[in-house]
Amino acid sequence: MNKHDPITRFTPAERHLIDSLNGSLNRGTALAELKKLLQVAVQIELATIPIYLYTYYSINRTVHSGENMRPSDVFANKTGGMIMSVAVEEMLHMSLSANILYSLGEMPKMYQLAPANYPTVLPAHHQTDKWQPEGPDGSHDVAIPLGKLDYNQLWHFLQIEYPETMDAVPENHDWKTIGQVYSYVRCIIATKWIDDDDFRKGPVEHQIQSFNYSPNNTDTVHTKGKFDPWTPAPETADPDAKPVEGESAAAGAVYSNEDDSHAGATELVTIQGKEDAYIAIDTVCDQGEGYAQPHMHDLPTDDPSKHELSHYYKFLTIQAQFAEYKAHMESGGLHEKLPKYPAPPAAVEPTIGSGELAEVVIDYPENPVTHDYPEELQPISDFCNGVFQYMLVLTETLYLVPPQSQRLFFNEGMHRSMIWVLDKLIKTMRDIPINDGKHKGKFLAATFENINLGHREGSFDTLKVLGSKAIAAAEALIVSDPSVDQHAQSVIYYVEQALSATDAQGAPQHLPDVKAFWNGDKPAPHC
Amino acid sequence: MTQTRRGREHLKQKPESGPGEPVPTPYPYAKAPAFVKTVGTQPEGLPLHSCMGLNSCKGSDRFGLEGHFDPVTGAHVQNDCAGQGYCATTPAHTCHVQNSCKNQGGCGLYGTSKELENPAHNDCRSLGSCAVPINAERFSTDGANRGKSVWQRARKVFEETVWPQTRAELLNKQSMGTVDTNCELPKDLGNAPSEFEGKGPAYQWISNNNVNRSNMTACGSSGTSGAGGCS
Repeated sequence: MNKHDPITRFTPAERHLIDSLNGSLNRGTALAELKKLLQVAVQIELATIPIYLYTYYSINRTVHSGENMRPSDVFANKTGGMIMSVAVEEMLHMSLSANILYSLGEMPKMYQLAPANYPTVLPAHHQTDKWQPEGPDGSHDVAIPLGKLDYNQLWHFLQIEYPETMDAVPENHDWKTIGQVYSYVRCIIATKWIDDDDFRKGPVEHQIQSFNYSPNNTDTVHTKGKFDPWTPAPETADPDAKPVEGESAAAGAVYSNEDDSHAGATELVTIQGKEDAYIAIDTVCDQGEGYAQPHMHDLPTDDPSKHELSHYYKFLTIQAQFAEYKAHMESGGLHEKLPKYPAPPAAVEPTIGSGELAEVVIDYPENPVTHDYPEELQPISDFCNGVFQYMLVLTETLYLVPPQSQRLFFNEGMHRSMIWVLDKLIKTMRDIPINDGKHKGKFLAATFENINLGHREGSFDTLKVLGSKAIAAAEALIVSDPSVDQHAQSVIYYVEQALSATDAQGAPQHLPDVKAFWNGDKPAPHC
Repeated sequence: MTQTRRGREHLKQKPESGPGEPVPTPYPYAKAPAFVKTVGTQPEGLPLHSCMGLNSCKGSDRFGLEGHFDPVTGAHVQNDCAGQGYCATTPAHTCHVQNSCKNQGGCGLYGTSKELENPAHNDCRSLGSCAVPINAERFSTDGANRGKSVWQRARKVFEETVWPQTRAELLNKQSMGTVDTNCELPKDLGNAPSEFEGKGPAYQWISNNNVNRSNMTACGSSGTSGAGGCS
């Protein structure tokens, strides 16, 4: 069995707060505050996902592949893999916070709760003073934009994942690092007002189960460099072997996540008591900000095997290959704007400048919204937002599905919507140029808006309406602009994959309808 | 009226730069029958399968009862027996969850460690892991098989787990008369076709020497699956 992170001991600041909360709260207020903060935590994690995905999809990871990769392609593939590895863990963190909340008898809410607009301040984030380190432009702004990959966007990513110091004060509002929020949650749980039975109000078998999570997939993987795409994968592999260039893809593969970067027995734990909740919170904090043990903050990794970089250090590692980073390092400036620990990496060669970046980054607009797109493209964007929101409805619905069906529902709902519909739709959309309006000259990007699908009970029907409009828009595009024929055909294909696809035997291969699980916006009585 | 092409054949193949070029020469699989996109007629009552060497009987492979032209002998033949067939008979699919039935998933790209350790061995529809056929270049991205060949793992799981179960079921069906008794069901499997033995079907063969990349695509954005990507 793998070693895993030990549970973090309470810091002096946390012990002080626990004492204070024991005096200032009562059982009712403690439970209410705990539930409220956990819903905030769910929304913090949710807020990061569109931000990371937007930048991820601005990267074309395979302009050139295999033996033909240029330095820019190697960089793009690495950057994409590392950003996706963080996004995957943010989904894990949202699930962990949601499991704790559900265990307390409260349904986690996600539908229509992604950031309302961009740039966005993350929920309850401190935004009023100069505490934040200066960004490359000299500002202290903590509002995070939807932006394509560039040096500044990575700085915003660093702001999200900024390391908590061991003496940080727990915060239930105006947090400066996400770890402070979770620290406050830990403290409430540790008060005399909360006991193990409180975490048994939501049945454990209905929580999101560990079998739904995998730390790596083909999207979190990148190669060290060029590889020979024709060489078969090996029968055996040394787990400690260093990735190599020029051989098979398997030999060159770099895995950004590791399976020991968690507290407890597994990554996606279910919650039945205080100890489980502490474990879940430790996994969240360790993966984001590093291995949270005394004297360990000088390490860039978050796991006992020291192979997985924390989110913060992953982003810093990507940034270290930019020309701007090298310039900052040589001027000595960057060190002073980053935490002392973990020590910032040296500049990575070969340096990526604007020319190389333009080879692999799609010219996405900044903070787009659908109504700023040309009218003929808006239905496609609306459908994309509809799928995004429906994914959130599906996530909530996971808690209502009979436990024996959860894996099938996860596969047909979550996986299919994420990988087989949304991922492909966004990669299709980014090939469609914007020929008019505010973003003229850019390419069509997902806007991740909180489009209203109505009550959860009828949300699939609403998605069907959006799908029909998107198909009509794509068909009109085929007529009006033959240059986008192929992309418009693909839009139609993916709408049908979401809503009506069947296999050769006629069995459904589209997204499941959640209608049976909801009564309006409330769980159906039988669930 | 607008004519839309709603099959997946129209989907754009990426990357744009001619993936996998230069193609190895001379073509290493000249002695193997050319890969065909359409699955041949299958013997009645035999299970569909995900890849080369995972078949249950003579005639139960990609080329089916119609058999294939053998470039070496010039004869038209069927595969010999269980475990010796050329490639998948299950409907081709490109991604995790898209399989139609038991043991028809591929593996390696997405899925949990348990799924990735059991390629082509899944319980039911939508519970399979990734694209079929399973090309030789594909490696598992998570779990105990991480970094190793998916096809070789699938063959091992087939030999040790799937085939004993399938064989018992087929023997039972033979006793009930629902599967042809001429279908030999040996305890020990024959080897996969010699050109691919120990490796699995190379993508160069599946793609007809990199010409027909739509013969098989696989999900994923990293370009490491060894096959053409979708979208």
